[in-house]
Amino acid sequence: MSFPLPAKRRGRRPAPRSRLNARLAGVVLLVLGVLGLAGCASAPRLASPEAMGVPPRVQLEGIPFHAQRDYQCGPASLAMVLNAGGVDATVDELIPQVFLPGRDGSVQPEMLATLRRQGRVPFVLDGRIESLLEELAAGHPVVVMQNLSLPAWPMWHYAVAIGYDLNAEEMIVHSGMEAARRESFKRFDATWARSERWAVVALPPGELPASTGPVRSLQAIADFEQANGSLAALPAWEALTRRWPEAAMGWFALGNARHGGDDPRGAAEAFRRATEAAPSLAVAWLNLGLTLAGLGAPERARDALERAAALPGPWQSHAEEALGRL
Amino acid sequence: MMKTVARALSPLLILCLVLGSLPVAAAPSPASGLITTQEALSQDQVSADRERINEILARQDVQDQLVAQGVDPAEVEARVAALSDAEVRQMADQLEQLPAGASVVGALFAVFVILLVTDILGLTNVFPFTR
Repeated sequence: MSFPLPAKRRGRRPAPRSRLNARLAGVVLLVLGVLGLAGCASAPRLASPEAMGVPPRVQLEGIPFHAQRDYQCGPASLAMVLNAGGVDATVDELIPQVFLPGRDGSVQPEMLATLRRQGRVPFVLDGRIESLLEELAAGHPVVVMQNLSLPAWPMWHYAVAIGYDLNAEEMIVHSGMEAARRESFKRFDATWARSERWAVVALPPGELPASTGPVRSLQAIADFEQANGSLAALPAWEALTRRWPEAAMGWFALGNARHGGDDPRGAAEAFRRATEAAPSLAVAWLNLGLTLAGLGAPERARDALERAAALPGPWQSHAEEALGRL
Repeated sequence: MMKTVARALSPLLILCLVLGSLPVAAAPSPASGLITTQEALSQDQVSADRERINEILARQDVQDQLVAQGVDPAEVEARVAALSDAEVRQMADQLEQLPAGASVVGALFAVFVILLVTDILGLTNVFPFTR
């Protein structure tokens, strides 16, 4: 095939030739258009393994592989991470919990909800590839969502990342019909980026991800608690306060979970820690006061409620009401 | 005739549905009157009560949508109960737009060539033989 000739010679060329060139130009245009559509993807730039604090190569052992049947990459991916974490859920059990027949697929919120129903806390990661590597280095398989095709004709897909190789610049994923498939960082990141780099680890209550901070972890556990009750979430709150003792909301949540578990003394202690970590957290003073009142300590309850009532905000009226009832 | 019956029945049905879903939404709050963690985390407390009513309606709405999408009606309640408030809102507002992981491409044959090129360029991952 010849390259397009300079424009000034075009007039003298025979007709078939120019048609060929036009066709070629069309292909070039198409490729350029597609490149524009896809955005110019390149392999993600990563810091050195030392700077990230992860080993250069990780491949998790003992992550069972479930080949997907038609449209069932969602339930298959969930079964892989659940089985790896010791939950005996089969793909067939998970399909009625997560699959949407009308969409021939599974949506992200329901992927998280299904993990909760299986007693696991789903933590959505912050969408950086470094976080993904950190989780793998910590031994946590990660469910990722990819768009294997282009945004205009999406091909949404769930897979489970089980390892990486920084030297070969490859991710290792259980994906579709293929166990431990090696995917170049470039291709993985290009397809993963189209889901806004959605990634989830599912951990038993009491274990925390390696890469998430206190705020993200707190929200994940609070959502788990709403679905599964405070008793189920109690170990998760204890782990959170151990890891981030300075996070007042963690102590506050632990207090509520202990109270729900019929441990008002433990609850009062946790609420007290919350007020120490953040003396302006009115809601912690309020719950401390209410708990102390329930424990038959009206004097200390009054002190706490007065602190809550002195802080402007939405809980002021609650505190004043409680003071009136004392 | 049918119209009159329907007119009389529908408010009753709406009421029943709303009341029926109340215990689900109210379940997480402890009976002691403490402020729950979820309440404390939700930013706008002024409209908390109004939000709770919206939440109940949204949960009902999502249940209806799931049934319409072919989910077994016996499953929908448990499925929706495991969603967080934010996820319920997301599902209620934009279930149609949410990406559904299925690994099938809903495209015409003409697109085949383009995806083949992008696959070879390492931008997509549609055809296993290009790797």
